Amino acid sequence: MFGFLKKVGDYTQDAVGAAKYITQGLGVTFDHLRRRPITVQYPYEKLIPSERYRGRIHYEFDKCIACEVCVRVCPINLPVVDWVMNKATKKKELRNYSIDFGVCIFCGNCVEYCPTNCLSMTEEYELAAFDRHSLNYDNVALGRLPTSVTSDPAVVPLRELVYLPKGVIDPHDLPADAPRAGRLPEQVLETLPKPPAAAASAPAAVASSEPAPAADPGATSQP
Amino acid sequence: MQTFAVVTPGLDLQASFLDLLHGYGVSQQLAHLLWLPLPMLTVLVAAVVGVLVNVWLERKISAAVQQRIGPEYAGALGVLQPLADGLKLLFKEDIIPAKADGLLFTLGPVLVLVPVILSWLVVPFGQNLLISNVGVGVFLWIALSSIQPIGLLMSGYSSNNKYSLLGGLRAAAQSISYEIPLALSVLAIVMMSNSLSTVDIVNQQTGAGIFSWNIWRQPVGFVIFWICALAECERLPFDLPEAEEELVAGYQTEYSGMKFALFYLGSYINLVLSALLVSVLYLGGWSFPIPVEWLAGLLGQSVDAPLVQVITGSLGIVMTVLKAYLLVFFAILLRWTVPRVRIDQLLDLGWKFLLPVALVNLLVTAALKLAFPAAFGG
Repeated sequence: MFGFLKKVGDYTQDAVGAAKYITQGLGVTFDHLRRRPITVQYPYEKLIPSERYRGRIHYEFDKCIACEVCVRVCPINLPVVDWVMNKATKKKELRNYSIDFGVCIFCGNCVEYCPTNCLSMTEEYELAAFDRHSLNYDNVALGRLPTSVTSDPAVVPLRELVYLPKGVIDPHDLPADAPRAGRLPEQVLETLPKPPAAAASAPAAVASSEPAPAADPGATSQP
Repeated sequence: MQTFAVVTPGLDLQASFLDLLHGYGVSQQLAHLLWLPLPMLTVLVAAVVGVLVNVWLERKISAAVQQRIGPEYAGALGVLQPLADGLKLLFKEDIIPAKADGLLFTLGPVLVLVPVILSWLVVPFGQNLLISNVGVGVFLWIALSSIQPIGLLMSGYSSNNKYSLLGGLRAAAQSISYEIPLALSVLAIVMMSNSLSTVDIVNQQTGAGIFSWNIWRQPVGFVIFWICALAECERLPFDLPEAEEELVAGYQTEYSGMKFALFYLGSYINLVLSALLVSVLYLGGWSFPIPVEWLAGLLGQSVDAPLVQVITGSLGIVMTVLKAYLLVFFAILLRWTVPRVRIDQLLDLGWKFLLPVALVNLLVTAALKLAFPAAFGG
């Protein structure tokens, strides 16, 4: 008897809990009714890509040593490094370098592993073309400097979410000098406890320099 | 000798129309025959306009909930968008799939749509503002809505598509499962009102304005009825038959053009009808929160004066429509709030939760009716 009543009680509790959840959900959707859309009206407004955005790859012909590391780390072995062995100078001679952006997945492995930093990723993403063969960029095309959204006079650049001030989610009509959320490194340093005063810093510097060489043999003896 | 004219006090549109035709020498029967289609056409037009408004509301409210704008180019604020949608469906090619049963394929949407439109017979917008005060009002609606599963099964089976068949079976199961708690919650109301007629049910809720509405005496019944009505209309969270991600479009997959338009229309007409019936059964129908008799008394007017009749009539229509669309708004909001229920969760909810709760509700109402006959309908 009481087992049954307890079951009924539990069931009712579950039902009431479900009703509460649904009401909370309805509150959220109802709250959305008072928000305005924050649509970015491309192509009149464009978002400014973030600092580490993986866009089109940029290549400096003069820095490349034709080591082909980029080809080996590429998931599809995409870059085409056209080099010949120059018997006279006993060096590799780079003739052409190309990457087909119709196939590239913009993962950034080649950029990460390049030993001479001749590869970098730009903020360009508008690579659309009428013919897929024109997407096969040779070293001249790869070497072109990227065009920025901020330099286009016909475009209103808008900041992405992470660059907006605290509490703001709409990039429209934002003053250009509004700082982004979070603190710069200098501001973080100001909040840390100050080091000891300058009068004590000279003997402290002397005292700190002495244990330092003495500590070195101790440091090297430890594995 | 005095003759007592048995005439309803105030405006009587039917009598005025018949008298007008008599004046032109038309016989009694012919005049009555000419009168009959007029309320039907009015309600049909009202239903279709209601559906167009509903489609526009759905698009705009869904957009607002998702922080976008919705239709804004077809007419001012996009009000002509539903019309454009309807026209598009009208002009589309009508396809019957290969090896599909042509007759069943065509009849399926008809069987789904016609009972819903027929149920508008008993929806009252005022004391005499309905097509026909059928004595079995609400019961007629419940009986007609039971024809829907046949149409769903026909559409699913005749499409010659296994996904449509599954969708049709699920839709029929859903429809049948939620009919019983629906009927039981209506039964509790009928018990309190001592009548199946929708007009009588609303009249029983007048007297104390907003405090005499049935929702206060049947809160659990209101929730049960609303959930079952949403399940019958196949609105989220119960739109498994039309689960876009799971069954493509369920039993509607193979339909295009006008036949699909019938399903589309039927779905929205059903929603408006359900909302109207909820407002009739639980929210006092056409009654204003403050009784109009009190207001008329305050202003020193007689309730039977023609102008007062016109104003109270219009107020009644506005109140009914307002309550119905409040519920429609709630249904649209609910669509974007809750996830879809699975078929087993759906059937569990219908049979193992709503049915026992509806039975308990019925028993408690019966007990309260015996204990407090004055408050619960003697």
